[in-house]
Amino acid sequence: MMPDATVGADRHDPQAWREGLKTGMPTLFGIGAWGLVVGIAMVKTGLTVPQALAMTLIVFAGSAQLASLPLIAAGAPIWVVFATALVVNLRFVIFSALLAPHFAHLPWKQRFGLGYVSGDMTVALFLQRYPSEAPEAGKLSYLLGLMVPNWAAWQIGSIAGIFLGSAVPPEWGLGFAGTLAIICIAVPLVAGRAALCGVLVAGATAVLAAGLPYKLGLLAAVVLGMVCAMVVAELGEKSAKP
Amino acid sequence: MNDWEIWVTIAVLAVATAATRSSFWLVGHHITIPPRIQAMLRFAPACALAAIIAPDLLLGPQGQLQLALSNAKLLAGVAAIVFYLIRRNMLQTIVFGMLAFTGLRLLHVF
Repeated sequence: MMPDATVGADRHDPQAWREGLKTGMPTLFGIGAWGLVVGIAMVKTGLTVPQALAMTLIVFAGSAQLASLPLIAAGAPIWVVFATALVVNLRFVIFSALLAPHFAHLPWKQRFGLGYVSGDMTVALFLQRYPSEAPEAGKLSYLLGLMVPNWAAWQIGSIAGIFLGSAVPPEWGLGFAGTLAIICIAVPLVAGRAALCGVLVAGATAVLAAGLPYKLGLLAAVVLGMVCAMVVAELGEKSAKP
Repeated sequence: MNDWEIWVTIAVLAVATAATRSSFWLVGHHITIPPRIQAMLRFAPACALAAIIAPDLLLGPQGQLQLALSNAKLLAGVAAIVFYLIRRNMLQTIVFGMLAFTGLRLLHVF
């Protein structure tokens, strides 16, 4: 790869940035609502305001934060909280394997930062737009256009939750807006029989394994779903051959 | 947990985020993933999203399976999927889903 070409591809591209923002915009409301729910949960668990602010700003992983709160409340050993967060986050290792090759040429500090803030929705939306790893102008700007507003919406929601706390009645179910945003991102990903099979298996596994310790159900769901999708895809290829 | 233990826990959680999210960004070029595994990993985002959605739609607060019509989240969620398939508009779907959920919850239709 020519260094010049790389520099050109990573130059800030306002149009790609706006395109990313436009794609992610509808999810921001859901993300903010989810942040709000996590913010409220942190304060209700007994975290002080500085602790809750630090957690949302430096941890920035809603599902791991939610999983850690009951453990913190119960006074679980710190290594148990760590192990649980790692298992909840293991899907991000797969996401990073999918996303990182697109930006392998960037300096390590930038790669580290981009990885750190790449949540579920950002990864799914980016890979839908750029399925190929080949360098392309505007890729980085598009990713940032998804990522920066996503981060901001989460933090605004979360900080609002920390300060407003109990002013929002839990029965409003505001967190459901986050689930709805994820539904909208997930539906277009279900293209073809293989993906449909994977999604159904992953969903069923997540429900059946919800009681597993360390939130292992989520990881088991992703792995089983992927394997099933792959099996279906390969069987389809075989039967398609003459 | 006392105060400093919570602070240590927060730091440890940040390490858990960095170690997983930034993993392949930092060491990826030293690792070659076989093409078959790569093909399989492509299904990961959809599976992860499904694994996040399904328990929220199907499980009650105590983790019990709720398949009855009284489950407002399940009904609103299914309605939202259908709505999205027809309209293909995210924001409208989120607003529609929240209205459906709130309506079902307040009116006790079922």
